[in-house]
Amino acid sequence: MSILEVSGIRKVYSARFGGQKVEALKNVSFSVERGEYVAIMGESGSGKTTLLNILAALDRPTAGKVLLEGLDLAKIKDSAIAQFRRDNLGFVFQEFNLLDTFTVGDNIFLPLVLAGCPYREMTDRLRPIAAKLGIPGILDKYPYEISGGQKQRAAVARAMITNPKLILADEPTGALDSRSTDELLKLFADVNMTGQTILMVTHSVKAASSSKRVLFIKDGEVFHQLYRGMDTDEQFYQRITDTLILVATGGELK
Amino acid sequence: MKKLLYPKLAFESIRKNKRLYLPYILTCVGMVAMYYIILYLVYCKPVESLPGSGMIREMMGLGSWVMALFSCLFLFYTNSFLMRRRKKEFGLYSILGMSKRNLAQIQFWETLIIGAAALAGGLFVGILLSKTAELILVNIVSGEIEYSMSFSPEAVIKTVYIFGVIFLLLLLNSVRQIMFSTTMTLLKSENTGEKPPKANWLFGIAGVALLGAAYYIAVTTNNAITAIFTFFGAVMMVILGTYLLMIFGSVMFCRILQKSRRYYYKPNHFVSVSSMAYRMKRNGAGLASICILATMVLVMISSTSSLYFGNTDALRRSDPREVAVTYYMDSFEGLEGLSPENISKLRSALDSYHSEHGVVPQNVIAYREIYVPGYLKDGVVETDVSIFNTSDVALIDDGLTCFVFVPLEDYNQTYGTDYTLSDGEALAYNVHTNFNGDSISFNMGQTLKIVGQIKKFDPDSEAVTQIFPSVFLFVPDLKSAVAGLDRLANYQGDPMLDYMWNYCFDTGLSPDDQITYGRSFLQDSFDIKDNGFLVSSRSARIAEYDRRDFTALYGGLFFLGIMLSVVFIFAAVLIIYYKQISEGYEDQSRFGIMQKVGMTKREIRKSINSQLLTVFFLPLVLAAVHLGFALPIISKLLLLFDLRNIPLFYAVAAGCFAIFALLYTLVYKITSNAYYNIVSGAKEA
Repeated sequence: MSILEVSGIRKVYSARFGGQKVEALKNVSFSVERGEYVAIMGESGSGKTTLLNILAALDRPTAGKVLLEGLDLAKIKDSAIAQFRRDNLGFVFQEFNLLDTFTVGDNIFLPLVLAGCPYREMTDRLRPIAAKLGIPGILDKYPYEISGGQKQRAAVARAMITNPKLILADEPTGALDSRSTDELLKLFADVNMTGQTILMVTHSVKAASSSKRVLFIKDGEVFHQLYRGMDTDEQFYQRITDTLILVATGGELK
Repeated sequence: MKKLLYPKLAFESIRKNKRLYLPYILTCVGMVAMYYIILYLVYCKPVESLPGSGMIREMMGLGSWVMALFSCLFLFYTNSFLMRRRKKEFGLYSILGMSKRNLAQIQFWETLIIGAAALAGGLFVGILLSKTAELILVNIVSGEIEYSMSFSPEAVIKTVYIFGVIFLLLLLNSVRQIMFSTTMTLLKSENTGEKPPKANWLFGIAGVALLGAAYYIAVTTNNAITAIFTFFGAVMMVILGTYLLMIFGSVMFCRILQKSRRYYYKPNHFVSVSSMAYRMKRNGAGLASICILATMVLVMISSTSSLYFGNTDALRRSDPREVAVTYYMDSFEGLEGLSPENISKLRSALDSYHSEHGVVPQNVIAYREIYVPGYLKDGVVETDVSIFNTSDVALIDDGLTCFVFVPLEDYNQTYGTDYTLSDGEALAYNVHTNFNGDSISFNMGQTLKIVGQIKKFDPDSEAVTQIFPSVFLFVPDLKSAVAGLDRLANYQGDPMLDYMWNYCFDTGLSPDDQITYGRSFLQDSFDIKDNGFLVSSRSARIAEYDRRDFTALYGGLFFLGIMLSVVFIFAAVLIIYYKQISEGYEDQSRFGIMQKVGMTKREIRKSINSQLLTVFFLPLVLAAVHLGFALPIISKLLLLFDLRNIPLFYAVAAGCFAIFALLYTLVYKITSNAYYNIVSGAKEA
């Protein structure tokens, strides 16, 4: 059963004083199965951030439907949307988005505290996650005191602690050095192995090559997809690169 | 072209950062205008012709220095906000290849433009308003003045000079900051200071302790003399304590809350408490300043307006008649001087002076009195002179009372009564005390039986205006009543007793003539000394003259109080505005993150609202507490100005607070809109 179903998404932005209209997404349809690890690739301006915002219910599509476990996101009232997001989705951002007013531990607790979770349960949930992500030592530090890689792992912990149906990652490696990038991608793959569904938006081939399936998006449309199959990371990397070169040189696929 | 580059850059950056610069320039304009107005009142001609002008000018002169100091501190404070935002731009210029010298040049032009605009605008507004202010002042002190547009060149020159210096200092400060920072620190300066606030227990507790001690002093000071000495110290402690409490104490408090897991990890408290710690760290100084300014405004306005409105009341008591004269008899022949024969001779001499000048004295109050100071305790009066040698003023004030013997005969004659007393009996009348014993016994003197209290009496002005209490004792015979006491001598060997004759009357003349006649009467009647009446000196009061003098003094104080209050309120409003704007920018990103993590807009708004409310009303609440504790000690101080109508003072203070709170709330409403505009403007992106 697919956990996420996206059909016929269109998004048009119009300038404030009428006139110029920009079509960010033309017609996007795809679905994500439970336990999948999907990467969406595209150049800047291809509409991938718009797509992610729509999936995160941060933005609403002009046309089309997004179903999460059969529930239409459009049907959720504005007032309930934040809570829906909190209960069902986990987020990992390029810029980490940790609040500097909290310690790392409290940053991770934030969604649980908002959900009214008792302290004991929060610590019980955190312990295995922190161990898995290798961050037990920095829980009492403040975001400004730790490295980028550590920040991103803390952000992953924050995304995971609510046991979300889907983790949405927006360029999670964009602000990391190559070593931290490798660590984080390994982490994503491991987390995925435990059954966590992940949807990642990226323009990095390396990041995409750690996923199980890559969707290519261009000019507001999904125009191709690759399955990893039995490929190693390196082989999959090569195939993604080949596809991108083909696109760039104007070759037609399909 | 190249020559004009820096002025152009400076001008453009001011134009483009309007939202930041406009309030700053307006602040400068406001400060210049206020300073000019106060200075104008020192120099302008119309004020010179007012009664008590010397006093007003002196106060305004003093006020102008306070104003200059405050302007300087305040402009430094607001300028620091600007610098923080500007540094990033300077960092960019520096990367693009500008040297620090060039940056300093831009800064120079910027300061020049702002300074010139501020001085031009400020002087214009100041000259326009000074006329209004002058009219208000003249009105308050009830003088008369013709309307003519005027301005004072001296005030203009001094304003330009003082603010020139202030702007120069500002420029030097910014140049210093540019010189001592690298390109990278410039670029990042907007993000520094984001370290988590640490609770500083030492300073936090010191703040609480200082405030506690100051409050204790304010509440336990029970007399005016001590108040003079302790008030200043208490004020300093309150100021220091407020800053420590706001900056360190508040963070400490948030940390304590965070330690309590049950309290902290709740949806309502989690975000609020942790961001409060940050907010307080950033705004502690600003909030403390607001609190101090608010307290100063409240204290100033309530005390000066009480003095102004209460002074008629005070005057009526201290000057029951138009002219009041006290003749002091030669102390070695006091009883002789107060003999009925001598007094009636003196009085008839005065009466003939009146009739020579065609004046018929009316409502005459005339009585003799003998005065002795002493400690009153349980009906026994200690008159031992050695006690009065002490230099400890406060000790003297502790229970020191003035005892005044008045012949019953004089009372009956003045008030048309027919009280009778036998030997050893007395009637009493209290001034600023509530002595109600059955008898009073003077050490080294007589014991008097108090048979009753007198209701209606006009005590001499000295008894009314001095801070020591007095007990008037009406006795059948002066000589026997003071028997024994007349042996008392002070440490210089002079007799302790004072022998006086009070003589008060209305003239029925016009106010101006009252003063003229009163003066000539006093002048001429001083010759009486040589005429063998045993008078050694005399003191006098002319009610109308006093009234004018008082009105000028208290009117001037009141006006200065209002002027400074307006300036302080203005400053407080600007601090608030800057706080809201700067916080708005800092909260933009946080607002966005919280939304992504799953807080609803309503939750965020609620949390931010409660934080803003707390931060905003904390200074007001603390100011109210400060004022509450200050009232007792200030009311003691006001005794020195002969303001004894304490309920009036408390009511005025309460009224001032209500008005101030209303104003403050209004400012909150307006500025929080600015804040929301910034915060919500960002989340669209």
